Amino acid sequence: MTATSPRPAPPEPSPVRPFRRLLGGKPMAQPEGEYRWVYLWGTPLRLMHWAAALSILVLVITGLYIGRPYFLGRGEASGSFLMGWVRFLHFTAAGVLVATGIVRAYWLLAGNKFERFTALFPLRPRDFANMFHQVRFYLMIRPERAPHYLGHNPLQQFSYTGIYLVTVLMVITGFIMYGQSEPGGFFYRAFNWAVPLLGGLQTVRFLHHVLTWVFVIFVPVHIYLAARADVWEHQGSISSIISGGRFVPKDVHFVDD
Amino acid sequence: MFSPTTHPWVEGQTLGEHLESRGVGRREFLAYCRDLSIVLGLGTAMTPRVAHALQSMRRPSVIWLELQECTGCVESVLRSGSPTVGDLVLDMISLDYSEALMAGAGEAVERAKHDVMEQNRGEYLLVVTGSVPLAEDGIYLTIAGRTAKEVLEEAAAGAKAVIALGACAHWGSVQAARPNPTGAVGIPSLVKDKPLAVIAGCPPIADVVTATIVHFLTFGRLPAVDSQLRPTFAYGARIHDQCPKRANFDAGQYVEAFDDEAAKKGWCLYKVGCKGPATFSPCPIFMWNGSTSWPIGAGHPCIGCTEPNFWDSMTPFYGRLPDIAGFGVESKVDLIGAALAVGALGGVAAHAAATGVHLARQRRRELPVVEAGAEPKGGDRGQN
Repeated sequence: MTATSPRPAPPEPSPVRPFRRLLGGKPMAQPEGEYRWVYLWGTPLRLMHWAAALSILVLVITGLYIGRPYFLGRGEASGSFLMGWVRFLHFTAAGVLVATGIVRAYWLLAGNKFERFTALFPLRPRDFANMFHQVRFYLMIRPERAPHYLGHNPLQQFSYTGIYLVTVLMVITGFIMYGQSEPGGFFYRAFNWAVPLLGGLQTVRFLHHVLTWVFVIFVPVHIYLAARADVWEHQGSISSIISGGRFVPKDVHFVDD
Repeated sequence: MFSPTTHPWVEGQTLGEHLESRGVGRREFLAYCRDLSIVLGLGTAMTPRVAHALQSMRRPSVIWLELQECTGCVESVLRSGSPTVGDLVLDMISLDYSEALMAGAGEAVERAKHDVMEQNRGEYLLVVTGSVPLAEDGIYLTIAGRTAKEVLEEAAAGAKAVIALGACAHWGSVQAARPNPTGAVGIPSLVKDKPLAVIAGCPPIADVVTATIVHFLTFGRLPAVDSQLRPTFAYGARIHDQCPKRANFDAGQYVEAFDDEAAKKGWCLYKVGCKGPATFSPCPIFMWNGSTSWPIGAGHPCIGCTEPNFWDSMTPFYGRLPDIAGFGVESKVDLIGAALAVGALGGVAAHAAATGVHLARQRRRELPVVEAGAEPKGGDRGQN
């Protein structure tokens, strides 16, 4: 800040403001050194991410209601359509989620190296070593040893791949139950083969119910770790799922560059 | 045989002639045939064919085996408040062998059964209630010194078609529930080479049995069946989708305790464990005891008795989700889920706090270095 008036300069603001102190004490660092912008997530993937986020939010809220209806309709049955609307929202959101799944499946083939099918399964020995360092990073044991990744680190990737698998199971169990109202219909024929494999219709219902909690647990952890990476590590990861890319220092080596 | 009558169906008489001698009018008979055609999903256009088949029917031979069961199916099927034409049809198919109902016993009836099977080989209809115990070579049920498996296989070999009646014959029912000490199995596990229909339920509805038999008599084959071998005309739709309380379900109006206001109003039983959403049965349409009532109509949740393994998979009967490992998972799953979610939130908060502490410590360590101007301030990862 340069003083242009002859008046006495106001006292220098503390470089570490209270709010910043709360977030780790560092003033938001000005970029130092050379930075470059890397493009990671294609438009379909980002659209898919936010559509899925919204639909999962709706699905979890409506799903918990369907599983255990905590509000009751009042008056005559003809005057209320509470469960009807909740189910409508649930099925609509499920449709959106399936659409995002189709986009994601296509993008597993058409995406860049961070988005392709092979990126889902970091199974090389180096990946496991890096996963170990990443766990230590989160435990704050020698965090400086943590590997740098442009895309997802192996720990992160396994959790996302796991969420994909849970979502697939949710979609299958959901469509099984959806198909019951029309035996011989499309959804019944397309999904009912899985009922004996899963151990009966009630087990399907149970799985669908229990797996809901995976999302309830995953979402806050996911948001926290993304925010943490942004706030403390200045990684620009939140930016990357909005704009598609992030700024990274030129002199840092990235495992997946 | 079941409805006492002074006009027994004599050998060689057609059903039409017999009904006339019993005072059943033509109009009444046709009305019954029309109802049956509708029940079977054939439409009223098929009424003449059903009527023709029935009235010209000559006392078909039926052997009714009662294996590992409670006789409830026979009670359900054969007893009703007032005999209907349907009961007469059931009378007529009459039973050359039925342990619960025949007067004779011992070697005489065993010989009679054997004779009937020989005389009508390939022609008779075999109805089986009850399951077959296979454990320890089937010693848990023997009839006339032979195991249920041998009795069933002998009877099935000469049958034109087999009807497995009731949950026991369907999949084993209560004796096949965990841990299934007698190794009980249903008829479909043993009879593979004959036309087989399963009339599911514990017990099944009499009208479904009558309609299936009439279909067999009219067309000479069993009706179309689903993957569980249940006739689709009866088991083609879920209770949930035919339920008179469905409006309450969609309105979000649920009974929460059996003595609450909602129960008095007859609201949906979803929250007290109704298995209607997982159960295929015509109960809401046919109902019981001459269409007087049925479980959900009487305010009790469906227990899913037409579905295989319902003693294990549909329990607890008053809970919505199954008891997977038998220690009340259902009642705890939301509690565990919520606890884990709260734990995750707490863990996130604790980790965030720990990170703050860690960074503060690190800064304190770095401070002299920064003051010496040797290194830029801050930044541990991704920054420099």
